[in-house]
Amino acid sequence: MDNNPVMRGITWFATHFIGLFNASADAFTSLLTGILPLLMVMLTFMYALTTWIGEERVTHAIQWAGRWALTRYTIMPFLAMLLLTNPMAYTFGRFLPERYKPAFYDSTVSFCHPITSLFPHANAGEIFVWSGVSAGVLQIAPDKYATLAALYFLVGLVVILIRGIATQWLTGVLIKRGGHEETFKRYDEAYEAGRIQGVQE
Amino acid sequence: MSYNTIKVSKGSGGWGKGLVLTPNDQKNVVLSVTGGGIHPVAAKIAELSGATPVDGFTNQVPDEQVLAVVINCGGTARIGVYPKKRMPTVDIYPGSPTGPLAQYITDDIFVSDVGVNNIAALGAAEAAAAVAADAQAQTAAATPASTPAPTPPPPPQQKGFMSWVVKFGNAIGYIINTLLSSGRQALDIILKTVLPFMAYVGLLIGIVNYTGISNVLASWVTPLASNPVGLILLGVIVALPFLSPILGPGAAIAQVIGVLMGTQIGLGALPVQYALPTLFAIDGQVGCDFVPVGLSLGEAKPETVSVGVSAVLFTRLVTSPLAVAIAYLASFLI
Repeated sequence: MDNNPVMRGITWFATHFIGLFNASADAFTSLLTGILPLLMVMLTFMYALTTWIGEERVTHAIQWAGRWALTRYTIMPFLAMLLLTNPMAYTFGRFLPERYKPAFYDSTVSFCHPITSLFPHANAGEIFVWSGVSAGVLQIAPDKYATLAALYFLVGLVVILIRGIATQWLTGVLIKRGGHEETFKRYDEAYEAGRIQGVQE
Repeated sequence: MSYNTIKVSKGSGGWGKGLVLTPNDQKNVVLSVTGGGIHPVAAKIAELSGATPVDGFTNQVPDEQVLAVVINCGGTARIGVYPKKRMPTVDIYPGSPTGPLAQYITDDIFVSDVGVNNIAALGAAEAAAAVAADAQAQTAAATPASTPAPTPPPPPQQKGFMSWVVKFGNAIGYIINTLLSSGRQALDIILKTVLPFMAYVGLLIGIVNYTGISNVLASWVTPLASNPVGLILLGVIVALPFLSPILGPGAAIAQVIGVLMGTQIGLGALPVQYALPTLFAIDGQVGCDFVPVGLSLGEAKPETVSVGVSAVLFTRLVTSPLAVAIAYLASFLI
């Protein structure tokens, strides 16, 4: 019976079929027990915090941060991501003049993964960019995990500032080259006059 | 007494499409069931509509006289009791249909996270339309009250110690209810987004490890990822304008490569210091698939979108490898 090739084939298949899913189940369990509890309590706290702070104050702080390039591409994306979380954070572009919107988007979207190292709730659906890499560090050098998290966050801030400034510059160049200057001058005037889309009643 | 139509909208964390309320001679009480006293939201509804605010904790009002009930409940009881009786319910806390009575909490009868600013009087034209729509509902439910409602007495003002107790209790209630509702929100995103992805990643890791593909992949990726120049090159490749929009969606590729790289670091095949530059090298394409959508979320004009897409995609060619280089330098701090 043991020498029957068909039987051996079936046994081989059954063993490895189950083995494959057992290995997958183990990986799934380690994710469940490793990341999920932290994420759950953190999400709960951050949602509550946003409710307590209130949308109006959040909006106010973010508008304030949008005034200068230095804060527009560091603090503003951070606050937007922290308080509104991934897809909704980009809606704060509406508080900026048209010519800054691409730069703000570039800056904000580039922060949606670095922020997860300290605030996983901000982009819970894409947490594995960070936790995939950091899980390896946690395994081999757990003492360096916290440093890595802080550095990912800080370097992320530097990178989004550079991306914001670079994209703001290229947007300006493309507006000139494409002959859109008149159009954007009109947008700027409308912005100065306080006619921000979505804000007026 | 003149009555006005008002609109109660949900707050930022709220639920429901909003309520349009018009008092009449039979239905002219705003019941405030908020732990004693008249809540400012109830007072505002009453003021704008011309109805009378009544403290539901100390007064008993027949249901058919109630225009709307103002509650502060994020839990299970009051949130469902009044909707079950088909009484328009205004919740001050950010609640959504939960608890044993969840099935009765529907958006035509319930609105939540309502603040004083969410209440507005409707203009004449809007009111007429709303009333016309409302009239059918009214006639259907019309069982005219035989005795005209006596105007309830003005609410007694609570003083001294008791008012402090009530205020303290309300503050605690607010904190606990917000946390509970946040917990529900957190569970929601975990069930809908995080767990499915974990199952998928779990399966992927299982297959890759069990079949030995991880070793093969490692032999390809490791040479590229095991020196700074290779990582910078990876940063350039993922940022190529014709490649980056394809690599972007859901950050799926970045996440999968992240897991693979993490496995290699965990095995000691890659030095720990490379974790930081790796994080940036695998993510140079972030959001490149999403530029028009992200810009329109920011209410950008079509010209801005057309200029912005190229501006974002082309600056990445420089900023993506630059990010890897900065991260590489910063990694010496680890």
